[in-house]
Amino acid sequence: MHPSAGVSVRVLAPPTWRSAATWSQVARLGHYRDLLSTLSRHRINVRYKQSKLGALWAVLQPFTMMLVFTAVFARLVHVPSEGVPYALFAYAGLLPWTCFSSAVSNSTNSLVGHAQLVTKVFFPREILPLSYVIAAGVDLAIGAAVLVGLAIYYSVPLTAELWFVVPIVAVLGGYALACGLVLSAVQVRFRDVGVALPIALQLLMFASPVLYPLRVVPAQWRTLYLLNPLAGLIDGFRRSVLGMPVDGQALLVGTAVTMVALPLAYVAFKYADVTVADVI
Amino acid sequence: MTELEVTNVSKRYWLPKPIGSAVEPGGWARRAWSRVWPSYDAFWALRNVSFTVARGEAVGVIGPNGAGKSTLLKLLSEITAPTTGEIRLHGRLSALIEVGSGFHPELTGRENVFLSGSILGMRRAEIVAKLDQIIAFAGIGDFIDAPVKWYSSGMYVRLGFAIAAHLDPQILLVDEALAVGDEAFQRKCYERIAALRSAGKTIIFISHDLLSVERLCDRVILMQQGRIALDGPPSQVVAAYRRAVAAGAMFGDSAGQADRGVSVTGIRFCGRRGDVEIRTGFPFNVRVSYLASRPIDDVVIEVWYTTHGGAVLQCEQTTARSSDGLDLPAGAGGVEFCCEALGLQPGAYAVVARILARNGTLLHVFAAGSALIVGPGQASRGQFYMPYTWRRARRPAAIEPARFAQESPDGLKV
Repeated sequence: MHPSAGVSVRVLAPPTWRSAATWSQVARLGHYRDLLSTLSRHRINVRYKQSKLGALWAVLQPFTMMLVFTAVFARLVHVPSEGVPYALFAYAGLLPWTCFSSAVSNSTNSLVGHAQLVTKVFFPREILPLSYVIAAGVDLAIGAAVLVGLAIYYSVPLTAELWFVVPIVAVLGGYALACGLVLSAVQVRFRDVGVALPIALQLLMFASPVLYPLRVVPAQWRTLYLLNPLAGLIDGFRRSVLGMPVDGQALLVGTAVTMVALPLAYVAFKYADVTVADVI
Repeated sequence: MTELEVTNVSKRYWLPKPIGSAVEPGGWARRAWSRVWPSYDAFWALRNVSFTVARGEAVGVIGPNGAGKSTLLKLLSEITAPTTGEIRLHGRLSALIEVGSGFHPELTGRENVFLSGSILGMRRAEIVAKLDQIIAFAGIGDFIDAPVKWYSSGMYVRLGFAIAAHLDPQILLVDEALAVGDEAFQRKCYERIAALRSAGKTIIFISHDLLSVERLCDRVILMQQGRIALDGPPSQVVAAYRRAVAAGAMFGDSAGQADRGVSVTGIRFCGRRGDVEIRTGFPFNVRVSYLASRPIDDVVIEVWYTTHGGAVLQCEQTTARSSDGLDLPAGAGGVEFCCEALGLQPGAYAVVARILARNGTLLHVFAAGSALIVGPGQASRGQFYMPYTWRRARRPAAIEPARFAQESPDGLKV
């Protein structure tokens, strides 16, 4: 039995921005935390259910990308990699990037992909995109095992900077969720989003310091460049795991943008959410 | 104590207009634009619906397809929000809209109990506590540990209902979920609902199965074209609905019929002058009023009398007496059918009027559940009244030929 249910009166009324922007929405999500954990676990279980390599795919995806990009950017065009071997440099950037990109592309399709559920049962819909973001976080943890292996192989020093990883991953998840909430709600009305997304993500990868260091961005573009939270977050992730001092300014801008974007995205999602079943 | 209040609830859907054809003015540019940004027509699935349900009440909702039953259910279960108005719920509500909601084919039955149960709003601990009961209720044996993609449709439904039946709601919405499974399982489902009912739960039962509605509910709401048509005791509402269905189904669907230039606007009955009541064996007139938007030639107007069960008893039609066509000028008008002695026995009957073209094309049906109440008049046994007289036989062994009342003994009409 839900603790608050049974006592309170639930009022179902036409959507308003005011009702979308209340704490009770988040509190409601709390009542459904068991569903969130069941669904997130389900994402991970089902994804590799009939595949032989199973969870190994979480590693293989960034790893093969790393091999390809190392061959191109380290051997052919010599991209600077801040004094660490390029393979390690690229993997430390690709790991958070693949986490972000799979979180966003899966959560964008989450509402449309669960149309059967959305039109049949009520539950806080944000659980769908959220469960994909959490599943992507688990993939990141699995992929980190290879990073540890590479770090040992290249004998990277262990420093206190490593602690930054925790808040960085949290903010990265928050930003992925913000993108996923907005895109999934728009995708319900305009399926163009799903078609455009792979291209947009490709562009975004090259507009973020995944395969090159943040430092090579020209000074006059830096402010604009940092408005993309991934710039600070991916660079920060790499620097902290590779034992380099993090770029505080870049991280701060990324965190600030996320902290503004996430509540706005959530309220917009909750506003659209109540009538999503009509148009899906 | 009020459990649920629905106040002035309306729901509007937007239906895209058909994309313009090649002959449409504006040419390709306009058509291309209408593809990118199609225009929509408003469709009101519910219009100003208000009702309240008391705690512990079992309310049935019936009505033809498209009457707004499912929309009402979606609003109550919070799947979508109303366009105007509001709904107040005073307890935890669970909806049995479709059994097996949220099943994943790759997962085993047991895993799906957790998945589907939590989607339906159960806590994990609650599911763990009820797991054995759920599995026993489903009665699918060892299949509980097989992926549900290997299930037969019956097993799928059994497991789905077993989960839903173990929800612990204060308000339970049931939608047709019981029209599945074999008879033994259906009985189990009804028993479960009856048990919930006697445990004081509030039940809203949306169904086409009138027998179950009558059996399970304290009160029935009949929906028609997005509005509440009737709200009252099950026997009355169900009977009214049966009447409308019998009439509508037999004579063409009266809901949303196309405008073919003429429509029946009403049916009125009249008994003998000075006696408003209509009685068996007494003179009886019926008037069919119509409205023609343009002159229409050669039509046939019919009045059908049926039982509540839908059995046709009699038909009066304009071509039956003389085969002359009936030409309707534009405007309102009416025809009257006059009967010397009504043959129907005392009781209530459904009456349907319709206008057809001579070739049989239906122009309009009027089946607004009009009831004809016939009171006792001439004493008569059997199915219908048959006017007669009697006399002593005048010839020793032969029977005299019968004659019309107005006929002279030599067989000529006077």
